[in-house]
Amino acid sequence: MILIWTDYILPCVCACLACVGFSLVFNIHGMGKLICGVGGALGWLIYLLGGSTIFAAFLASAAIGVYSEVMARIRRCPVTGYLLVALLPLVPGGGIYYAMSYCVAGDVSRFLSTLLHTFGMAAALAVGAMLTSSLFRAAYPYLYRLRSVKR
Amino acid sequence: MDYDKLLNISVELGCQLMSSGAEIYRVEESVRRLLQAYGLESPEVFAIPNCVIVSVTTPEGHPITRMRRIGSHGTNIELLERCNALCRQLCTQPPSVDKAQELLSATVKGSPKYAAWQVLMGYGIAPAFFSPLFGGGVTDALAAMTGGLAVGICLLYGSRFIGSNSFFRTAFCSALASLLSLALVQIGLGNSLDTVTIGTLMVLVPGMALTNAMREIMAGDIISGLSRAAESILTAAAIAIGSALGLGLVEML
Repeated sequence: MILIWTDYILPCVCACLACVGFSLVFNIHGMGKLICGVGGALGWLIYLLGGSTIFAAFLASAAIGVYSEVMARIRRCPVTGYLLVALLPLVPGGGIYYAMSYCVAGDVSRFLSTLLHTFGMAAALAVGAMLTSSLFRAAYPYLYRLRSVKR
Repeated sequence: MDYDKLLNISVELGCQLMSSGAEIYRVEESVRRLLQAYGLESPEVFAIPNCVIVSVTTPEGHPITRMRRIGSHGTNIELLERCNALCRQLCTQPPSVDKAQELLSATVKGSPKYAAWQVLMGYGIAPAFFSPLFGGGVTDALAAMTGGLAVGICLLYGSRFIGSNSFFRTAFCSALASLLSLALVQIGLGNSLDTVTIGTLMVLVPGMALTNAMREIMAGDIISGLSRAAESILTAAAIAIGSALGLGLVEML
């Protein structure tokens, strides 16, 4: 139980609050702050559940993509803000730093592997979010029609 | 109808959208829809991250073009949402041109902005909660918060001293972050140098440019996508160069 608390819940709360902090920087008001925070927590939870690999980052950013498209439809707002802020915890800031530290220390092989890992993370994030975003956009008219037929 | 005024309004709207951080296709689409709502047959809009060009042909066959250069800008999601809503409103029920002008300037003026201390608080909160994500404890969070506040002050008020060149600004801020976290860890606030530094650097990472670059490329705006991708790689390089300064100092000590 304690393991679940320290391994999953606490990091997600941290990711949520960090995203709320960022939404102040990007001038997001009202409900938008909460949406960004929940999006960040969701992304980080999936990243942790997937084992913190590049593929996990891909899944997390795919989930964030769908989540922010849905929220943008509900609030009738541009999707940009939610997507941007919710993706921020996953951006490989640590990768840049560690790659640089190996470079300064002269450890070429670890520098290169960290650098490639960082690029992989960045590519996984970008492709994951955009792929689901585009899929959602393609599928949305059908979903919308289905819903209105049911009513 | 006064087509000169209409053109001015649409260019102004495009400029506001772009400088609040909208994607290229949103800017082009909004301006085109607005002009079509006012009955123009085939308005041409071209946008790249720092320039908007709008060209229309009046019903008499007279072509008019306006170009607007857009300087470096931040991100202002609230203004983006409001401009988007205004554009939707203008397109469904186009009012007279003068009225539209009034509505646009009221939107730009009436968009709320956080006060400087609130933005600064954001710069402090974000690193404080990022460092636990990378394995830091409570003291690391406090140290990262101090670093984040310093970087925030530097970004908000320091543009007079460090210039408006974004590469140099990022490098300077990241050097400041790494030196400050080195100092804080030395005096005992914070245990692990790595988590404190990474938490602080997360404020500077080019998440925004990276996400937007990919969105542009997927939408088919290759020029803008490539320029934003180059921007994000440059920013990452600037962060690396800046933080290398702090790390180099550690190596020497």
